[in-house]
Amino acid sequence: MRISGAGLFSAALAAIAAYAVITALHWPSKAALFPLVMGIPLFVLALIQMVIDWRGVSASGDAPGERAALGVLAWMAFFIMLVFLLGFPTAVPLFIFGYLFIAGRESWLLSTALALIAWGAFYLLFQKLLHFPFDAGVLTGGGL
Amino acid sequence: MIEAALQGLSLVLQWNAFSLMLVGMALGFVVGLLPGIGGAATLALMLPFVFKMTPVEAFAFLLGMHSVAATTGDITSILFGVPGEALSAATVVDGHPMAKNGEAARALGAALMSSLVGAVIGAAALAVSIPIVRPLVLTFGSPELFMVTVMGIACITSLSGQGTSAQLKGFAMGLLGLLLANIGQERQSGILRFDFGLIYIWEGLDLIPVLVGIFAIPEIIDLAARGTAIAGNAPATRLGAGVWEGIKDTFRHFWLVVRCSAVGVLVGILPGAGGGVAQWMAYAHAVQSAKDTADRERFGKGDVRGVLGPGAANNSKEGGDLIPTIAFGVPGSGAMAILLGAFLIMGLHPGPDMLTKHLAVTYSMVWTLVIANVITVVACLALLPYLAMVTRIRGSLIIPFLLLLVFVGSYTANRQLADLVVTLGFGAAGYLMMRFGWPRAPLVLGFVLGKLAETYLFISMARYGYAWLAQPLVLVLMALTALIIVLPYLQERRTHAN
Repeated sequence: MRISGAGLFSAALAAIAAYAVITALHWPSKAALFPLVMGIPLFVLALIQMVIDWRGVSASGDAPGERAALGVLAWMAFFIMLVFLLGFPTAVPLFIFGYLFIAGRESWLLSTALALIAWGAFYLLFQKLLHFPFDAGVLTGGGL
Repeated sequence: MIEAALQGLSLVLQWNAFSLMLVGMALGFVVGLLPGIGGAATLALMLPFVFKMTPVEAFAFLLGMHSVAATTGDITSILFGVPGEALSAATVVDGHPMAKNGEAARALGAALMSSLVGAVIGAAALAVSIPIVRPLVLTFGSPELFMVTVMGIACITSLSGQGTSAQLKGFAMGLLGLLLANIGQERQSGILRFDFGLIYIWEGLDLIPVLVGIFAIPEIIDLAARGTAIAGNAPATRLGAGVWEGIKDTFRHFWLVVRCSAVGVLVGILPGAGGGVAQWMAYAHAVQSAKDTADRERFGKGDVRGVLGPGAANNSKEGGDLIPTIAFGVPGSGAMAILLGAFLIMGLHPGPDMLTKHLAVTYSMVWTLVIANVITVVACLALLPYLAMVTRIRGSLIIPFLLLLVFVGSYTANRQLADLVVTLGFGAAGYLMMRFGWPRAPLVLGFVLGKLAETYLFISMARYGYAWLAQPLVLVLMALTALIIVLPYLQERRTHAN
């Protein structure tokens, strides 16, 4: 038996199901019925899959490597932070420029031009045409 | 009736109504590309503009916008793997792999042409069925609607791939989706389930951040890892020829398109069945229509039939949705509930009046659905070679714009910053699912249907006790559900026997 990423994923799924079932046991029957009916078989299936994974006979998917995944997820987290601090309208051009210039290694001229185009399109569509009310960031006038 | 139909056509073709329809279509085209601001949200945003319009102008404007948004939602699904509409995600499953194989134009051609056929079938159903559909709609109470959702859930078997392990993973993901739908306040008892003390979760998880995270983020990660364009190093087919190939595919598999359109109409007619289920049921039907196991294995890897089925159902559903809305004032979906508001603003009362006094207005809606879709498809076909070229732009240039599309889409649904965090979380989960070979489609199907299933089950139990299990239509639907579950296994056994 060997511990693999796939096995850990199945174990995490079993843990989620177990948590759902244990939590639902404390609720009235009306509220508990569906989580129990879904959670118990999910727990069993995840356990079976965990055994299959740890015996090393499961076929894995064809996803890209962790490095790219962590990179993209880190940029996403950075964008959320920008929106939180500065609000969408300011975060959009900063993010586009930052990603193109740093991660994409594009020239500063192209990065600036595309960031401005993105900001212009965003402004025209959401603010001028649809009048969509984006909240300001905590540093630009919005509260928490 | 024919006279009213012709009168409806002439009303739509009048300069004012026609130009407003074009304005609505232009708006629908843009917002259809954005996840989050879907057809329903756009209808709500544009409702205040119809006050000064005549009924025909208002419905030309609103329905033109709504039907185009449903069509163009498929474009981002295919090109980038980002569902343009929350309920049109099934096109991603085979459409985006086609784009990665260098067949974006073919996939787009197939999606648009099947959408057009679906829209025409939906409109025809609307035109002929209003007088006769009343018994069907009235027959469907909570027990029958519960069984329809169970039928949708049973489609998991077709979305899970071949083999015992794949089926096990598919069912587990379907159950996880159903469990996720339980998050938030329970409607009968008011108990907060899995809320972790967060007010944000009280209403449950929103579909759009979950959907966009699960489907779009893993594709963006894939693009970043490959370091190439979306179409990678796939041989560049002649883009224009690819479009025509997609159009021809629609007619090569014409009966599949017709059957999937019928699925869309039927799901649309049933108020409360949920628009999301139509596309997935159509996709599942397309998978089940495969000749044998080897043929089924092509799905999910870029099979054009996986684009044709959802494309057709997505648009035929609009005609189906309108039937109970117009005939009884019972909206079949969120968008139709908003449209009902437009009826009241116009001083129209859905019901018998729409079939007698205002029959010409009703037919003008039918014609709007048809004309708006024809114009959209013709305009898109002219643009498709250029749209498909997007798949040849290098990944590093396109990734920040895709991330922007994903986040703006997630945020605009509810204006909640927490939705962005949910998108990130489900993006990471979607990546892990892809990495370890867990199918994503069953999770989405379970999530879409979970709340509906629970609600209808409780109403059925409260109203009928266990007696609802013996109702004739429930038994028929149970048999159909069993058939949906068993059919793939029977197909597999037949293949092995051969």
